[in-house]
Amino acid sequence: MDDYFAEADEHLLAIRRCLLMLDGVERPDPSSAILEELFRSCHSLKGISAMVELREAEVLAHHMESCLRAIRQGQTALDAANLETLLAGANALEAVIVARREGNLLPSGEEAIAALRAMASATTEARPAAASGEPVTGPSSWTVRFVPSPELVARGIKVDTIRARLLEIGRIVSVAPRVLPGGGIAFEFHAQTDDQASLAALKDDGVTYEAYVAVTPEAGVPATTASDLPAGPRAWEMASAAPGNFVRVDLARLDDLMRLAGDLVVTRSRLDDTLQRIERHVPSREFRLLQEHDLLMERQLRDLREGIMRVRLVPVGEVFRRMPFVVRDLAHDIGKRVKLEIAGQSTEIDKFLIERMMDPILHLARNAVGHGIETVDERVAAGKPPEGTIRLNASTVGESVVIEIADDGAGIDLAAIARRSTKGVHVEDGTVDPRLLLDVICESGFSTREEADRISGRGVGMAVVRSTVEELGGTLEVQTEPGRGTRFSITLPLTLAIIDAIIAHVGNQTFAVPQSAVQEVIEVDPDKLRSLEKNELLTHRGRALPIVRLERLFHLETTPRPRLHAIVVGTGLNALGLVVDRVAGHREIVVKTIADPLIHVSGVSGATELGDGRLVLILDVGALSRGIRERPRVGERASA
Amino acid sequence: MTYILFGVAGTTYAVPSPQVQHIEMVEQITPVPNAAHAVEGVVFSRGQVVPVINLRARFGFERATINQRTRLLVVQQGSRSVGLLADEAKEFVTIADASIHPPSEAIGNLSGSYLNGVATLGDRVVLILDVREVVESTPIAAA
Repeated sequence: MDDYFAEADEHLLAIRRCLLMLDGVERPDPSSAILEELFRSCHSLKGISAMVELREAEVLAHHMESCLRAIRQGQTALDAANLETLLAGANALEAVIVARREGNLLPSGEEAIAALRAMASATTEARPAAASGEPVTGPSSWTVRFVPSPELVARGIKVDTIRARLLEIGRIVSVAPRVLPGGGIAFEFHAQTDDQASLAALKDDGVTYEAYVAVTPEAGVPATTASDLPAGPRAWEMASAAPGNFVRVDLARLDDLMRLAGDLVVTRSRLDDTLQRIERHVPSREFRLLQEHDLLMERQLRDLREGIMRVRLVPVGEVFRRMPFVVRDLAHDIGKRVKLEIAGQSTEIDKFLIERMMDPILHLARNAVGHGIETVDERVAAGKPPEGTIRLNASTVGESVVIEIADDGAGIDLAAIARRSTKGVHVEDGTVDPRLLLDVICESGFSTREEADRISGRGVGMAVVRSTVEELGGTLEVQTEPGRGTRFSITLPLTLAIIDAIIAHVGNQTFAVPQSAVQEVIEVDPDKLRSLEKNELLTHRGRALPIVRLERLFHLETTPRPRLHAIVVGTGLNALGLVVDRVAGHREIVVKTIADPLIHVSGVSGATELGDGRLVLILDVGALSRGIRERPRVGERASA
Repeated sequence: MTYILFGVAGTTYAVPSPQVQHIEMVEQITPVPNAAHAVEGVVFSRGQVVPVINLRARFGFERATINQRTRLLVVQQGSRSVGLLADEAKEFVTIADASIHPPSEAIGNLSGSYLNGVATLGDRVVLILDVREVVESTPIAAA
């Protein structure tokens, strides 16, 4: 079934892409490649839906196909209304497939079907000959052969099943059993239907067909075997011919490889530890050799990891491809004019990361259409072009990928933010500290809208966007300028899995801090710490550095020490000193995500193993630095 | 149906064996700061990050020190793998559906609400644990 969802997804994507490309083309060339692909995708979707017995999807795809056939035959124009009907059909299809995947109640899609039916039947009226059922244009005649087999019977497909299917799509003139050369038996129907696509869909049920040729009974019809292909298949019947140089790999298999490489990294670090311990027992010449091999192995391991990582990288464009559809759909619904500009589609990023980023990016794009871009009237009044622009851009910066979603709309209404936020936002010179602004709009339940709407729901969206980005080890930033627009930037690591980290001890616990967030490790004299309300501050490099004592945060027992160590993480206003007992050093660690809600606590982003089988928690520096900014509120609540 | 029997605070419980991925001895459980009371911590089990629920704490008993007999039963609940910390685990038995009865009201114990039934094996009484209830109704954050 997973195969089905993956394939259905691809077809849906293709359908939408094609429909978008056809936007504005009233009478497409019937042989147009786009129309061809569209037709093929609907057809395949129908076929595979029938195979998994997802009847609702099959029917929808079938009706879309009928409409497309009408357009291909030039009987129907592809005007705006019809395009809308087809798009609605695609939406309904997706809804059905998603509902099936999520195990939800299947939507009937009746509305979409009715609209598609109306569109297809409008065709028939435009061509009276077909309606009158003259032989010339009437149902085509086919010789349909069905070869039963034990496998088919096991799937519940018997001659009666096929008979029923044929009756659904047309009528049966006659049926006769035939003996095959090998001694098997086949059933030969003479059937009439104009729905060749449905016939083709029966192919996997042991059915072959060809145009019916009237033969005199004496001549007989040479029996054929099931493997015989129907004469002259159309181009779209051979849709699944894939390009030869690509292999589709289940992501789980790559994950396995990555995990194995990760295990190797752990094993090598154990070996490294052992080597250090035996150094004085081994003659230095031999030890040098051992060390050389060890280093060589480290380098090769790194290459191996990078190699596996590269396999996992996919172009961001795969996600971006959905965007034009979403933007167009929503803009149309709420009566705005929006164009989407996409750049950097070929930027590569880890497949795992981008799949999880899909919803956040969609959400930001929806926000841009719904809240960012103004209505046409407002734009014209502001002296802007009536059509708003949303730019979606991806680029690689060092070891990170930056995805930006920018609109040229009205900007975030800072006054409304200040009014609604509980955080005491002050607007100075028409601007707000962007970090604080982000905190506010990402606050769960925050929305400047009075009512929940379908665009962004109840304000939970931004909170989810931010937590998703941060769970993946990325950062989210926002910039907004009144009247000029808003830009969200998501910075993500190229890949997850293995990172460099600082290992530190607090009490009897060990923590790992991602090195990318660490500025420096400093020694702290406890007497130099100043208390300010609930927080502690340290003057460091001329600035007040907020201090977080991990033992207090995590309720651990420690013995007081004359000197403390602080790991300085984050930069600028986000900088923070994490006080620990001891810093054990720097290690390469394999990151495992913590998914289970029982252990999903704030301040912890994942887990790792250092080679001794013990699990070590990885600190979430972003959440810790947010925590300290929010702590005064927690204090208030506690004292109230 | 086959079950795995294990003991918590002197009582014998059973879980359907297909739901148990594996049973291991307990070496080191990493405490998770600010997790719920019944959550003992987290371990790596066969490369997976697995939360550990202390069944004693979950059922309202005092925690016991981890020793040679302590066992971790890694169970599958939906898409989640969760470790259940038990005092001991030893037997693999077949219990006929017919010999399982609904838990009586008399079991006033806190665990009463996580039971799927009660079975009598010879002279022993075995409580059939509702794993879903134990896992899904464990609070997710400290009060």
